[in-house]
Amino acid sequence: MTDRLTYAELAALMKNGAGITVDPSEMESRPGSAFEEYGLDSLGLLGIVAALENRYGRPLPADADRCRTPAEFLDLVNSNLVTGV
Amino acid sequence: MNTRTHRRSVITGIGVVAPNGTGAGAFWKQTQEGVSVLDLVTREGCENLPLRVAGEVREFDPVALIEERYLVQTDRFTHFAMAAADLALDDARLGRADYEDAPFSVGVVTAAGSGGGEFGQRELQRLWGQGSRFVGPYQSIAWFYAASTGQISIRGGFKGPCAVVASDEAGGLDALMHAARSIRRGTGAVVVGAAEAPLAPYSVVCQLGYEDLSTCEDPTRAYRPFTADACGFAPAEGGAMLVVEEEAAARDRGARVRAELAGHAATFTGASRWEQSREGLARAIEGALREAQCAPEEIDVVFADALGVPSADRAEALAIADALGAHGRRVPVTAPKTGTGRAYCGAPVLDTSAAVLAMEHGLIPPTPNVFDVCHDIDVVTGRARPTELRTALVLSRGLMGSNSALVLRRPTDTPG
Repeated sequence: MTDRLTYAELAALMKNGAGITVDPSEMESRPGSAFEEYGLDSLGLLGIVAALENRYGRPLPADADRCRTPAEFLDLVNSNLVTGV
Repeated sequence: MNTRTHRRSVITGIGVVAPNGTGAGAFWKQTQEGVSVLDLVTREGCENLPLRVAGEVREFDPVALIEERYLVQTDRFTHFAMAAADLALDDARLGRADYEDAPFSVGVVTAAGSGGGEFGQRELQRLWGQGSRFVGPYQSIAWFYAASTGQISIRGGFKGPCAVVASDEAGGLDALMHAARSIRRGTGAVVVGAAEAPLAPYSVVCQLGYEDLSTCEDPTRAYRPFTADACGFAPAEGGAMLVVEEEAAARDRGARVRAELAGHAATFTGASRWEQSREGLARAIEGALREAQCAPEEIDVVFADALGVPSADRAEALAIADALGAHGRRVPVTAPKTGTGRAYCGAPVLDTSAAVLAMEHGLIPPTPNVFDVCHDIDVVTGRARPTELRTALVLSRGLMGSNSALVLRRPTDTPG
């Protein structure tokens, strides 16, 4: 496991948790695209948040499951990991 | 009866996922030949439970039929319902192009008895094995008995009236009535039916409490309604979805009208009170005949509930006689579900499908594994019976006390 959450890891979480197949490089190249455009609904994002919290052994910020885009979500998760709150 | 009954509801598509076949063609071939596919239970985790014989849907590959997101987010009972809905829509030749400009004209109605047991069990095992943080969020919707209606509606883009009927096994017939009611109120088409997946360990354990469940180990003897050896029923997976449309609209778009939903009625007589179900079922039959403006003598075939419990079988035979009079002792009665098991809410929708196909083929399918009938009704046994069929009566009862009857009519302009 790397320190920072990558687009590839996020894509894997989307596939395992919600059955959504998405190309990580496409997510990376379209930072404005919302999760919804890839077919991930709010329950799907909630599941990814829980999976990461279980993996890291600590909670993510309360608004993590309200991130609109993958880019926003990675920023939030990774800045949270860096500050180690 | 109301002034809007001129908006008649007709079946234009049949989609079957049953233990004896996927698709109406495969289902009918096995059904009319009287093939029994009841067999020892092999579903994972169920092999050593006291329920030994059931109807499993074995020739079904959800991966080939259902998109991955729905495979992950929904239970097997919803996979069955989605696949059956696709088959019904294909059969009706009702495609996205037909309704994408009017998505509010198509609704969805399903009935379900047990919901998503397999999905629910997995998540509950995570809850008690690892903790609440390991329960997936899709648990909140996947095991709910309403899941299939919602997911079919989302997947197909159907924004018309959507509903879930919770009224026991008989809910399968009540769902059809609900669809007809939506159509009377102005909806153009309804994707309607029921499919169940009760062969997961948690679900089977729940069913073991039913005193009516057969625990016989011999697939040829486990489910033999109307015989002196009746020892309960064998459960099954699967079910059927139908496309029901307003008749004039269906004809306008050139759809093949398969049968009319002519009349329906439902009653309630209490859980496991089989003796009382005699009156309840008779009243349901009378109500359905009244709505269909159908005389008892016009009924050409009865698809029986056929629970396989002596007191329930007796009550059903007497109810048929009570409601149909002398005709009740002459009319052919069949229960093809003895070859597949009872798929709870899915069972009466499978029977409705079989009744439509029987009318089209002029052939009453037999009642597999039943030979020595001990009631005063004419049960079709052994092989299919060829005869002209214009009107069929489908009966269903639930273990919790629901009784329901549906009258189906062949469309008047059908050739032959």
